[in-house]
Amino acid sequence: MEITQFQQDALREIGNIGSGHAATALSTLLQRRIDMSVPKVWAVAFEQVSAIVGQLDTPQAVIYVKVEGEAPGKAVFFFPVESAEIVVQALFGLTEPVDIYFDEMAQSALKEVGNILVSSFLIALTQFSGIPLQPSVPALAVDMIGASLDAIFLEEGVLEDTVLFIDTQLTGIPKIEGQFIFLPDDGSLNKLLGAMGV
Amino acid sequence: MNGVITVGMADLKTATAPERLLTAGLGSCIGICIHDPIFKVGGLAHIMLPTANGSLGGNPAKYADTALELLLREILGMGANKTRLRAKIAGGAQMFSFPGKPQVLKIGDRNAEAVEQELKKNGIPLLVADVGGSFGRTIHFDVGTGELHIRTINHGEKVI
Repeated sequence: MEITQFQQDALREIGNIGSGHAATALSTLLQRRIDMSVPKVWAVAFEQVSAIVGQLDTPQAVIYVKVEGEAPGKAVFFFPVESAEIVVQALFGLTEPVDIYFDEMAQSALKEVGNILVSSFLIALTQFSGIPLQPSVPALAVDMIGASLDAIFLEEGVLEDTVLFIDTQLTGIPKIEGQFIFLPDDGSLNKLLGAMGV
Repeated sequence: MNGVITVGMADLKTATAPERLLTAGLGSCIGICIHDPIFKVGGLAHIMLPTANGSLGGNPAKYADTALELLLREILGMGANKTRLRAKIAGGAQMFSFPGKPQVLKIGDRNAEAVEQELKKNGIPLLVADVGGSFGRTIHFDVGTGELHIRTINHGEKVI
């Protein structure tokens, strides 16, 4: 998939607006400051995804939401386990440690966080593009990041030589790190860009 | 630790004893490990999808069919004897499930099935398979002994 510089800029703008809304939602939810990086637009072979996630077997909490509507795609939030624990503690006002591997309450809280973040992202994207988009029910895996991402990218059993996605880092004070990626399905990208007049 | 060679996603490598091959974070992907126990050489392919569907070009290590073909060619090129080759595989998990959605064609299962079929087609005995489940795996393959060490986050460690 070849994309032009102009399309890249448009995608970065999608990332900016959408992730900005998501970061604000997370900040409101956790009552703490969340900073957002400038979104990066990646058009790479999937096997190079490790370049953005680091070690493929690092345990991370991954919240996966399918984007449904006229321009379907996938939205994924992932936090290192330690950050995910801090997010859950902040949500419940807990000081004691939480076990996000096995505690169902903690897991459903994380899914809800993902749901709120993705919904905010999609509302912004819908307002921006005029294309109605809805989130699916969120799914969660707390496991090796490479394993979770390969399952998401390969779910349909096809893979373009190049995958395209928008990547934003969210950083909370203190000690929250998260990453948000949005992958438009094949065909959705042109619809989104078309709707934006690109 | 000397002689550990890392195999990335959609990648394949060969090694000679006492080297070991490592691939990290297998989800629905599969690690295909093949070795010749007498000549003590082997290889590991980290495949992502069942079949290249005859399409040429692209990365052969991505698909079960083309990756196995290339892996065998490389191992035999190192002097291994085809009749002695043995295989072990791991991976093919389903990491996510969405409530209420039928999961008829899970990609992890399809990958495992394709790998088993390709091995059979090439006459390579599959000694053991650690596939399925809903968790990631990191594997180390000792090409000399044929030992395959499997590490998970919350589902234990084992050697098969």
